[in-house]
Amino acid sequence: MSVTTNETVTRSDNQGPAPVKKPQRRGVFAGGQYIPYTLLLPAIVVLAGVLVYPIYKLIDLSFMNVNRFSFLAHPEKAKYIGFDGFSKVLGDDTFWEVVLRTVYFTAELVLLSMVLGMLLALLLNRVSAWVRVTFFTVMMFVWAIPALVNGQVFRWLFSSNSGVVDYIAYLLTGDESWKHYDWFADSTVGLYVVGASVVVWGALPFLVLGLYAALTQVPKELMEAAKLDGANSFQAFRHVTLPVIRPFLMISTALSFIWDFQVFAQIYSLRNSSPEDGYQTIGIYLYMHGVSSSQYSNGSVISIVMIVMMLAVLVYYIRQMLKIGANER
Amino acid sequence: MSDVLSPAPETRQPLPPVRKPKKSKETEVGRSSVMTWVWNVIALFVAVVMAFPIYWMIITTFKTNKDLISQDPTFWPSSFSLDSYKTIFDDASFLPALRSTLVLTVGAVVLGVAVGFLAAVAVARFNFRGRSFFIVTMLVVQMVPLIAILIPLFVVMNNAGMTGSLFGVILAYLVFTVPYVIWTLRSFIVNIPAELDEAAMVDGCTQWGAFFRIILPLTMPGLVTTAVYSWIQAWNEFIVASMLLSTSGNKSQTAMTWLTFYSSTPTRAADYGSQMAGGLLVSLPVIILFVFFQKKVSAGLTAGAVKG
Repeated sequence: MSVTTNETVTRSDNQGPAPVKKPQRRGVFAGGQYIPYTLLLPAIVVLAGVLVYPIYKLIDLSFMNVNRFSFLAHPEKAKYIGFDGFSKVLGDDTFWEVVLRTVYFTAELVLLSMVLGMLLALLLNRVSAWVRVTFFTVMMFVWAIPALVNGQVFRWLFSSNSGVVDYIAYLLTGDESWKHYDWFADSTVGLYVVGASVVVWGALPFLVLGLYAALTQVPKELMEAAKLDGANSFQAFRHVTLPVIRPFLMISTALSFIWDFQVFAQIYSLRNSSPEDGYQTIGIYLYMHGVSSSQYSNGSVISIVMIVMMLAVLVYYIRQMLKIGANER
Repeated sequence: MSDVLSPAPETRQPLPPVRKPKKSKETEVGRSSVMTWVWNVIALFVAVVMAFPIYWMIITTFKTNKDLISQDPTFWPSSFSLDSYKTIFDDASFLPALRSTLVLTVGAVVLGVAVGFLAAVAVARFNFRGRSFFIVTMLVVQMVPLIAILIPLFVVMNNAGMTGSLFGVILAYLVFTVPYVIWTLRSFIVNIPAELDEAAMVDGCTQWGAFFRIILPLTMPGLVTTAVYSWIQAWNEFIVASMLLSTSGNKSQTAMTWLTFYSSTPTRAADYGSQMAGGLLVSLPVIILFVFFQKKVSAGLTAGAVKG
């Protein structure tokens, strides 16, 4: 709750000596004590039904032995088994492989997309206006393609039969064997090269546009002053640009982490709805082992572990957002 | 670009009012026109690489079968054919899937924005007990991975007898639209000064008059932004729809579940011409929205700063 107090402090700071006893309800809504609660009611009812109760149910389910059979056909068979579900899922070596793979994959994705995004944003800062417009137009279209379709398109690009990437590799090297190179045969290549390129390709537009917008906030005068004082490009970036874009940089890194950690649609459609074991990061593992095999209780355990693993970054992200949100008020 | 990106606390304080950046000129310190051209070429190359998958997707849909199975794919079709599109439109479940997606999306957007707008007004204009708690909660719940609450959502909907119906899916979509709409619209409404509707009321407006003449029009850009964003989210959603509708077999599909099902049917798995055509057709509504509401979409995505 420290975050909330934070918010009020920032607000009053910004407004300077605010009127001490400010009438709270003003304008249209003056009078009527129950108005805010009435307005909130629909949202609260909806969220209680589709969010709060399901989250309660998630915890409930994780202590039971529910699958599709005992859920739909024989509800009386469902019973509480305490932590047995947890020890079953957590005791499975495959699960820890999945967790490790998720960590590696997430780290690769966040690093790649942030570095590429930053480089491209800096590049766009240097090019002529018409090039920038062209670039942004392309970005807009890339951004608009649904994640599921992204995976599908990349499956075709990297296909081992008449796939264009294989063909381009052949054209560049002149080596016939490239023409039938199967990118998906080895899941390490398939996930960390092809999988990563789908996700990064889809993530770049948001990052580049955002980082570029942040870069335009860097005052030219400061850059020039740094140059005059003898700073080289790197030093200027490090000491002038970076501090200015830091807030957005931190938030977008946190967001990338959150998105990449739970990545599902791209990989799922890249492997045509049946990702092999080597492609299963935690989101996919949850889907395959909890949802499509109808092991609802096991799935709930995986979900809880997944949320817990994201918690640290979530808390950080939310604090950052509250700082900014508070400033708006 | 968006109201969240710019007013970051650390950036603002030390600087004079944020100025619009001047168009970069080649005469600037340390920038020669030769280097600008080098960077231009690099940027254009990257743009081509980024655009290539889209180009390839589009060009594939027009290729004939002969071109498609050729070991040496051509970068321009030898002859154009619309066969792939014909295959898609001949698929009996394609148009029904599009129709249910439309119903679903419109329902989720209208309900989500309506419910969210009311709550956003409450949060932005009133000081009530638990207000801060509510705002923080709205931010937190946006970050809960949808896939993690998929199972309990199914169980709850099943207990309520709403699986297999579009209405159940619409309700389930409120899980991500409502918190987003509340969080984003809140900042739009906060920025409308209360003095404005007070003035309207002094000038003779009734409460409702002031609401409809002042608050609603001024919130309009925010409403459009959140509606567009929610539309894209709902249209692209796949896992919730496929799970909640799974009980009714393949009768009711959404565009995305149809596409997945279509591509994974063994007979069509290798027919990339029609797969790409299908993919392009189901993404078209989203692409068009992106093009029309370009500014709003990027503002909406960054302002709410949410899931992709």
